Amino acid sequence: MLCYSPPMGRIWREAAILLAVVVVFGTVANLLPHRHMAWWGQGQEPPQAGRDFQLLDADSAYVMGESLPRTVFVDTRTAAEFNAGHIPGALRLELPSLQEMLTPELRSGLAAAQAVIIYGGSAETDIEQLLAQALRRELPALPVPYVLAGGIAAWQAAGFPLEAQP
Amino acid sequence: MRFFRNPWVYRAVAWVLGGIFLYAAIPKVLDPRPLLTIIWGYRILPPGPINLVAIYMPWLELTVGLGLISGFLRRGAAFWAFFLLTVFEAALLVNAFRGVNVACGCFSQSAEDVHNAWFLVLRDLPMWLAAAYLLFITPQSRQANAA
Repeated sequence: MLCYSPPMGRIWREAAILLAVVVVFGTVANLLPHRHMAWWGQGQEPPQAGRDFQLLDADSAYVMGESLPRTVFVDTRTAAEFNAGHIPGALRLELPSLQEMLTPELRSGLAAAQAVIIYGGSAETDIEQLLAQALRRELPALPVPYVLAGGIAAWQAAGFPLEAQP
Repeated sequence: MRFFRNPWVYRAVAWVLGGIFLYAAIPKVLDPRPLLTIIWGYRILPPGPINLVAIYMPWLELTVGLGLISGFLRRGAAFWAFFLLTVFEAALLVNAFRGVNVACGCFSQSAEDVHNAWFLVLRDLPMWLAAAYLLFITPQSRQANAA
């Protein structure tokens, strides 16, 4: 019923051109340093709650920060967002350039942390969960990091302070 | 059948389906990393090629959207739309039969956005039919309309 003799030669030709465009753009985009990921997966499982991270609400994160002196907050947002306002004392880490950002001083600081709380700019916490998993891989002695549910918006909504970078 | 061969009906379907593809593609093109977790969640592909799919699939969706909307290489775009939606439907059906609910990755980048797999199969079905229509039906030319 549907066969109105579609021009198959033309369809194949156009499909091949589009595929070539996709290969070029996809390859160039993945060569950009800030968004590069491995071409071939290493069989790494997605992060799992309990094993790689634990979710934490804003109130608990605040109490933890106040009661444990060596609590480290990690911000996953862009530098501009971080400078505009972040949780006091937080440091900024990016998942794609984690290994370059993890200087020896930072490694020792994180290794000595009593708690690590990771937060981002969105209610979805996928990137923060992936960062928690990557940190555990880089620093096996690190306690299971917490991920702030609701991100920075939940922190602000609870009325907790932020500090801006001058 | 003449209705379906009307060029304006054909264009309208292409614009709607193209718009859906663009809407779905843009967040994935901007940041494809969350796709890794979503594709893994389907439990169909072995670990190796998951990264390749996450790198190239958003660009294919973007190209399909642009092609369907602009009309440039529209039949090729319709081919890839049909291909992608067939793969999506097959992957969702496999998980629906397994009884596993998955994060579709269609319009949300979050692996936490889990839906019933049968619901997702039904939601994608009209898009699959639209893609089949754009691929297999040839719209009537203006000359034929005038005659």
